[in-house]
Amino acid sequence: MKVSYNLLKSFVSFDLGPKELASTLTSIGIETSVVSNACNWTNIVTAKILDIQKHPEADKLFLCKVSDGAKEYSIVCGAKNISVGQIVPLAKSGALLPDNFQIKKSKIRGIESEGMLCSKRELGLDDESEGIYILDDKTKLGVTLENVLDDVDSVLEIEITTNRGDVLSYLGLAREIGAKLKKIVTCPKIKTSNVSGLNCVQIKSNLCVRYIGGIISGIKVGESPKWIKDVLEKSGIRAINNIVDITNYVMLELGQPLHAFDLKKLSSKNVVVRAANESEKIIALDGKEYELSSDMLVIAEDQPIAIAGVMGGQYSGIGKGTETLFLESAIFDSVSVRKTSKKLNLASDSSYRFERGVSWDIAEVAFWRAVNLISDIAGGKIEAKEDLQNIKYEKTTIVLRVERVFKVLGYKISKDEIIEILRYLDMDLQSKGEVILCTVPSWRNDIKEEVDIIEEIVRIKGYDTIPLQKKQGVYLSTSSDSFIGKTVEDFRVKLNGLGFSEALNCSFCEIKELKKFGLKYSYKIANPVSKENEVLRPSLICGLYKNLVLNISQGVESVTLFEHGKIFNELGERKTFALIAYARVWQEWWKWEEQKISPKYDFYFGGGIIKNILPQDFMITQNLTPKEYYHVGKTASVVHKGKVVGQFGILSPYITEGIKDEVFYCEIDLSSLEKDQNFEVTQYKTFSKLPLVKRDISVIADKTLPFVKIEKVIKNIMKLGGILKDYSLFSVYTDEAKIGEGKIGYSFRLSYKDENKTLTDTEVNNDMNSLLQKLDLQLQVKLR
Amino acid sequence: MNNNIEEIVKEAILQIKTADLKTVENIKIKYLGKNGALTQILKSLSNFSAKDRKNIGSKANSAKSVIENEIESRKETLRKTLLEEKMQKEKLDYSSDFYFPFSKGSFHPIMQTIQDICSIFKSLGFSVAQGYEIETQWYNFEALNIPKNHPARDVQDTFYLEGTEELLRTHTSPGQIHVMESQKPPVRVIVPGRVYRNEASDATHFSTFHQIEGLAVDEDITFVDLKAVLSDFIHKFFGYGIDISFRPSHFQFTEPSAEVDVQCVFCNGKGCRVCKNSGWIELLGCGIVHPNVLKAVNYDSEKYTGYAFGLGVERITMFKYGIDDIRLFYENDLRFLKQF
Repeated sequence: MKVSYNLLKSFVSFDLGPKELASTLTSIGIETSVVSNACNWTNIVTAKILDIQKHPEADKLFLCKVSDGAKEYSIVCGAKNISVGQIVPLAKSGALLPDNFQIKKSKIRGIESEGMLCSKRELGLDDESEGIYILDDKTKLGVTLENVLDDVDSVLEIEITTNRGDVLSYLGLAREIGAKLKKIVTCPKIKTSNVSGLNCVQIKSNLCVRYIGGIISGIKVGESPKWIKDVLEKSGIRAINNIVDITNYVMLELGQPLHAFDLKKLSSKNVVVRAANESEKIIALDGKEYELSSDMLVIAEDQPIAIAGVMGGQYSGIGKGTETLFLESAIFDSVSVRKTSKKLNLASDSSYRFERGVSWDIAEVAFWRAVNLISDIAGGKIEAKEDLQNIKYEKTTIVLRVERVFKVLGYKISKDEIIEILRYLDMDLQSKGEVILCTVPSWRNDIKEEVDIIEEIVRIKGYDTIPLQKKQGVYLSTSSDSFIGKTVEDFRVKLNGLGFSEALNCSFCEIKELKKFGLKYSYKIANPVSKENEVLRPSLICGLYKNLVLNISQGVESVTLFEHGKIFNELGERKTFALIAYARVWQEWWKWEEQKISPKYDFYFGGGIIKNILPQDFMITQNLTPKEYYHVGKTASVVHKGKVVGQFGILSPYITEGIKDEVFYCEIDLSSLEKDQNFEVTQYKTFSKLPLVKRDISVIADKTLPFVKIEKVIKNIMKLGGILKDYSLFSVYTDEAKIGEGKIGYSFRLSYKDENKTLTDTEVNNDMNSLLQKLDLQLQVKLR
Repeated sequence: MNNNIEEIVKEAILQIKTADLKTVENIKIKYLGKNGALTQILKSLSNFSAKDRKNIGSKANSAKSVIENEIESRKETLRKTLLEEKMQKEKLDYSSDFYFPFSKGSFHPIMQTIQDICSIFKSLGFSVAQGYEIETQWYNFEALNIPKNHPARDVQDTFYLEGTEELLRTHTSPGQIHVMESQKPPVRVIVPGRVYRNEASDATHFSTFHQIEGLAVDEDITFVDLKAVLSDFIHKFFGYGIDISFRPSHFQFTEPSAEVDVQCVFCNGKGCRVCKNSGWIELLGCGIVHPNVLKAVNYDSEKYTGYAFGLGVERITMFKYGIDDIRLFYENDLRFLKQF
């Protein structure tokens, strides 16, 4: 809401400039900024002219000595209307005038000027002006100019929190300022009269709380006076005619939306407030037709004549020929108005206020204020009135315990101070020992319980008065990180060292995208804003693959990313970790010219990374149920404590068609790890100082035989605690022409050691033979 | 004889001083070898009287060790010089392109911020808890004192899941409820996590973002404590010089509520485009836990009080690094990610 700074002053007196007022309001929870400001100045203060001399080098210029009360300045000035003793606006060096004109110290015809005396035009106060702006000779010196000018106005923009509909008016804002500055608020004087006798309104819905209607005759529709138009304009409301403008003016002034109907256009003179009929239509004042539904409230004869609280109908609107009008000041259910406004996509100044709640008392005050203004301005006379109170209003009374204020806030505020603060908030108070009974004014429908009163106290006292005081004492001990948390941390740090970057993708994807990866969604969004938010991601692959494609398209040659976050599949919400790796492993380097090696991420290299980052109790096994997005021949499972917790492999060429190199991907379901387990602690084993004896053997196996089976035979022998201590695979031979069709060759380096003595050749040979025999016997793997 | 030994030592030292690696070996033979000058003397000791023998013997032996030492130290010097020359020849360009096979890894700025904030709060005695991203209406709204028909519950802002009553949490505050349901006071916890808002994306809005929720409940927790803890946190995160301001605000689940502003980090409070000339940046929302929230988890709202706060991770991260478009966080362009 936009308001005039000057008009605000007529409701409550204060000495604050627009900027200070804005920050004072902000400090009590009403975010305020100065939007338009004739006084868009900095560093312009009031100053007194002490002396005027002729400029030695220029006939038309003067040298002035001026003082802002603290310091004297010499100023070169060309105006003729100045004389000693006058108080004038002084733009000091560094001052900013409208249009961003900056004042600097400068030499004018050889004499230094420390600023500028300003005219109204230069200050942006007038289009044309002659000479320096001479201020009242009682003006204080050294005051910033915006604080001494009454005839210039600023517009303030007020942003309220949803609970504070009561400040959406001049009166409401004035009440807040009054409460903070301890000033009495002046409400416009209202003349009421004892008319009644109107019996034409009927309320048929509990969504209408109160309805005050009145008939005013003998009016003359015309243009509004300037002062009303000015106020409307500052709040961004278009002036229409005196009647409509008065209803809007009263709404701005008091916060109560009003509506006026042309009585001539009402056929039956019987008005019903009722739920709309399904599919009923109305053309509103904005000229558009709206289709209503039964959850909306309307003011109707046979046909609706207004959408309650939102907008009136065009047909019954006030026009040039209106002589008698029907004035409405009502209270409608705030939720109903909000829903109607949203559903129709039709918001108005009226709906904005009803949604945030209006006041029982003010509804009547506003009615009379409008009647008075119409009579003054448009010459109308009230003929009849009725006040239907559909839902009785009961005042809220709250018990405030003084000791509770301390318990919540943590610092002492005396009872007297509490009472003073609450009085200025217009509460009726009854003090009973350590308890205060607070009766809340009808416009504060946000105050419902004790703690709301406590907030009011500290809000008005000022959050800056809360002492900054650290509590001495013992903090609770914190829980240590979970197993899953530590595992993730381990992954992140290790991958970072391996050149991976951490990615974050949004949690949604499109159904179309999922099909590509052979994935199904488990959670669909009922109300997505766009297709991008259709379903929740059932895997991290959609995002990471999209990132890969983006980066390739940007010319990045190798992409390594990891992500951890939630995925949403048939098991529910799952913590998941994934990585994607593509193309050259090592960075380009001038030395590669001589070394000529730069591996690419393939199944083995990627698998190596997985093996490297996994804690030792994880294992890699055959992937019996690979996800559809993997290359069936290049995939494996990650197993933890006998449970498959993840898969990795090369992405199916079906997906990566068009991409030059293989794409490695791995996804681990962290939620399937047990939550509270401990990391296995490695136990130290003594090691022999004696040297290892190394032997190489090459064996031939069927290609179909999983390598892990050969490994198992070797590991089993090692487990027996003999002299075989370690092995490594150093070559894989796949040339079937040389080793036979369907065969594959492996070369191992075996390490032997005896903890107590140096081994002899015979001992090593015997052990190796027994290994070969086992391989042959169990797996038909033979020495090459 | 004694003079003779001294002469020998003098002569030997003179020769050693100018010897190279080859000649130094010859000198060694000449004096200390089988037929070397000193060896000769030692061999001839039997020709002297017992008294002289002892005297000359000890002199000769010490002369031997003097020469040996000289030779060793000469050798050491020569070896050093040689290596020195070799190294000079091998000198490489320090300004050249150094190399590490893997490119530099990076952590996502959002995750970094979360970690930084969590570790500050851990040092202030908070535990870290995890919440759920799929929530019920009860946890996301009712338990937090957001009744049916409250504007915050409008379908427009919340992602609802098809076929259920569930939704994607719109804030991390449901985490408060889960924590309080699972334990008795005292509570001192933060809940970092992902939250969702159903709105069109632009430079400052995205459907997915992150928050960190904080909660402390005990018998004697007050607004004073809230102010102290958050001021401490902000100073630890942004530096001790920064100005902080608490101003009243409104949240359904806290009463009194406050918005915390910090001095704009871009202009040091002078006013700039980022802070819309106000000199201040809105940092987080907080307040005293509303009694209705405590009642929802069966805490005695008379006995216990608490404070809660919530901050937007994206917002803080954008301020920290001067990032002007929230969508950059979710594109994962490596040219962006590698900067962190």
